[in-house]
Amino acid sequence: MDLELLFINFPYFVAIILFSMGTLIVLTQTNLIKKVIGINILQSAIFLFFITVGNIEGGVPPIYDPQFPDVLYINPLPSCLMLTGIVVSFSVTAFALALIVKLYLFYGTICTPNFMKLK
Amino acid sequence: MESVLKLPFLCIIGTLVTAFCMPVLARWKKDFCAPVATFAVGSVFITTIVIAYNVMHGGVIRYAVSGWAPPWGIEIVVDSLSSMMIMLLSGICFLILIYSFSAIKHELERKVVGWYYTAFLLTLAGMMGLVVSNDIFNFYVFIEVTGLGACSLVAAKGTRQATEAALKYLLLATIGSGFILFGIGFLYMITGHLNLTFIAQELVLVKDSYPFLIWTALSFFTVGFGVKSALFPLHLWLPDAHSSAPSPSSAVLSSLVVKVYIIAFLKILLIAFGLEIFHETFIRHLILVLSIIAMLAGSFFAFVQIELKRRLAYSTVAQVGYVFLGIGLGTPWGLAAGLLHIVVHAFMKTCLFLTAGAVYYQTGIKKVNQFSNMGYKMPITMGAFTIAAFSMVGIPLFGGFISKYGLALGSLEADLPLIILVIIVSGLLNATYYFPIIGQAYFSQGDNEHENSHQDNNHGDSHVDNKFQIDQVPLSMLVPIVILALGIIYLGIFPGTILEFINKTVTALL
Amino acid sequence: MHDYVTRVVFRYMLLFVLLYGVYVIMHGHLSPGGGFSGGMIIGLGLLLYILIFGQLWNDSFRQMIIDSAIIFVGIGGILEVSKFLIPHEHGPIGVSGTLFSVGIISVANFGIGVLVASTILGIYYMISEEA
Repeated sequence: MDLELLFINFPYFVAIILFSMGTLIVLTQTNLIKKVIGINILQSAIFLFFITVGNIEGGVPPIYDPQFPDVLYINPLPSCLMLTGIVVSFSVTAFALALIVKLYLFYGTICTPNFMKLK
Repeated sequence: MESVLKLPFLCIIGTLVTAFCMPVLARWKKDFCAPVATFAVGSVFITTIVIAYNVMHGGVIRYAVSGWAPPWGIEIVVDSLSSMMIMLLSGICFLILIYSFSAIKHELERKVVGWYYTAFLLTLAGMMGLVVSNDIFNFYVFIEVTGLGACSLVAAKGTRQATEAALKYLLLATIGSGFILFGIGFLYMITGHLNLTFIAQELVLVKDSYPFLIWTALSFFTVGFGVKSALFPLHLWLPDAHSSAPSPSSAVLSSLVVKVYIIAFLKILLIAFGLEIFHETFIRHLILVLSIIAMLAGSFFAFVQIELKRRLAYSTVAQVGYVFLGIGLGTPWGLAAGLLHIVVHAFMKTCLFLTAGAVYYQTGIKKVNQFSNMGYKMPITMGAFTIAAFSMVGIPLFGGFISKYGLALGSLEADLPLIILVIIVSGLLNATYYFPIIGQAYFSQGDNEHENSHQDNNHGDSHVDNKFQIDQVPLSMLVPIVILALGIIYLGIFPGTILEFINKTVTALL
Repeated sequence: MHDYVTRVVFRYMLLFVLLYGVYVIMHGHLSPGGGFSGGMIIGLGLLLYILIFGQLWNDSFRQMIIDSAIIFVGIGGILEVSKFLIPHEHGPIGVSGTLFSVGIISVANFGIGVLVASTILGIYYMISEEA
C-alpha cells in the first residue's frame, strides 16, 4: 500500500470511514436518539466528501477582490450544494426527533427492543 | 410554443405554493382545504395534458430555469417519458384527492387535515420535479422533498404503528438518499458536471481513465435507489409504512412514490452512464437477479399476510420486481413493458388500496378472511376490486396482461427464455393470494363470525345475508374507484395511446 | 435551568448573538454570509434564551410564532420563485462592499433569515407542545 497515496487522499478515506460508521450506527443501535446521531454522522461524511471534491490545492476562498483579479479560486459549487444538503439534514433531524417524541409518549421508552415487548 | 416552455415549471411551483397555503387556509376554514387542493391538482392535470400534447407533436421541451444556460443553471427537460409520467402522477393524485373528501374525515383527526394536504401536495410536487428535472443535484433535492412528504403522509394517522413505520421509513430512506448523494458526488468528481446531458458527453471521454470510480458510483446509485424504490432485499420499510398509513396515502405511496425513483434511476443509468457502461458492468445482471427474487419472494410474503393492506403492500414489492426486470433485460420490448407496468400498476394498486379503504369505511373489516358476502354488500367496490385483481394476475383483456406479455417478449429478445417461467409462476402466485378474497366475497355461504367486530355503525348488522344491496359509501369515494377500474380495462384493450409514448421513449433511450 | 453562570453570561451575550445574526444576513449577497446562516444564528440565540430563562412568552405569542413560521415559509418561497422567474433581472448587480445595492436579493435574503429563525422556534414549540 502506497502510504503517500493514503496521505494525499486522506479526506476521502475519512469520509468513507465516517459514512460506514454512520450507516452501521443507524442499522445496529437500538436507541433511537443514537440512530438519529448516526444519520447526522452519515450526512456529515457526505458533506466532507463534497467539499473535498471542490477543494483545489493552493486555492483561495472564492471572494472577488478587484485588487487581485488573477488568483486561483477553489470551486464554490460543492459548498453551495452542501448548504442545501445541510438544510435537508436539518429538516430530517427535526422530523425524526418529532416522531421520537411521539413514540416516547406512546411507549415511555426510546429503545427499539422494548417496543417489541410492549406491542 | 414559447409559453409552453414555462408550463412544467409552473406546474411544480403552483403545487408547492398551494401546499404552503394549506395550513393557513386550514386555520381559517378547514372545509376549504380539500376543494382547493383538488382544484389545484385538477388544473395541474389539465396543464400536463397540454404539455404532453405539445411534446408528442412538437418535440422535447427544454427550459432553462431563470434563463441560465444548462451547464450552469438548472434545466428542465420534458421528453415523452416525463410528459407521460407527470400526466400519470397528477391524474392519479387528482382521483385520490377526490376520494379523500370523505375518507380523510373518516380516518384522520380534524386538526391535522390542513397539514395532510400540505404533505400530499409536497409529495406530488417533489415527484413531478424529480421526473422533469435534468440536473442530478436537483434529483437529490426532489428526492428528499418526496421522501419527507411521504413520511408525513404515513405519520399523519398518528397511531402507534403509523408513527413507528414513519420513523423506520424516514431512517431507511435517509440512508438511501445518502447513498444517492454519495453517488452524485462521485459523478461530479469524475465529470465536473451536474447536468445529465453534459455528464453523458463527458463520461464517454473519461470512461477508460476511471473504471473503478464508475463502478463505485453505479453501486452507490443502485443501493440508494434500491432502498428508495424497495427492490427486494432492501424493501424492509415498505410493508409497515404502506399498510399503516391512511388508505389515500397508501395508494399514492404504493402506486406512485415508489415508481418515480425507478424513473430517476433509469434516467441516470441510461442517459448519464449510457448504454455502453450499462451493458458492460455487472449492474444489469445484479438488477436482473434481484428483480427475479423480488417477483417470487414478494408474492410468497404476500401470500402469508392476513391483513388486506399488508398483503397489498407486499404485492407492491413483487410488482416493483417486474419493473426492475424490464430495466434489467435492457431490450426494447423489456424496457417498454417495464415502463408500461409502471402505468398499469399505478392504476391497479391505486384501485386496490382505494377499495380496501372503502371496505374499511363501510364495514370496518381489515382482515382478508372476513370478506364473506362482501360482493353482495358492496357490489360496485368489489367489482372494481375483482377487475384490478384480475389485471394483477395477468388475465387477458386487462392492463396487467399487456405488460407481462411484453416482459415475456423482452426476455425472449434477451435470450433468457427461463424468465418466462418465473413470470408465469409469479402470476400464479398472484392468483393464489387474490382469488381466495374474490371467491369468498362472491361464493361463500354466510358465516357471520366477523359481524361482532369492532364497528358500531348500524348497516353492518348480523342479519345481512345474501341480499343484494348497493354500496353505502359516499359517491366521492365510488367515482374514483370506478374510473380507475374502467382505466384498467381501457389499458388492457387499447394500450396504443400509452405505448406510443413509451415507444418514443424507448427509441430515444436505447 | 437554574445555573447562575449561564444566566449572567447569556444575558450579556444575547444582544451580540442577535447582532451577529443580523450582520450575517445583511452580508448575504455581496460578501460571505447569507440568509440561512444568519437566520440560524438568530433562531438558535432565541432558542438558547428560551432554554435558559424558561418559557417567558405566553401561549398566544407562541401560537403566533408557529403561524408566522408557516406564513414566512410561504413568503420566502414566493420570493425565491420571483428570483427564479425573472430571468437575469434580479436588479442591479451591485457594488462590491456596499450593502443595499442589489435590489430584490437582499430583500429575499432578509425574508429567508426571518423564515429560518421562525422555523427553528416553530419546530421547538411544536415538539415541546407534543411532549
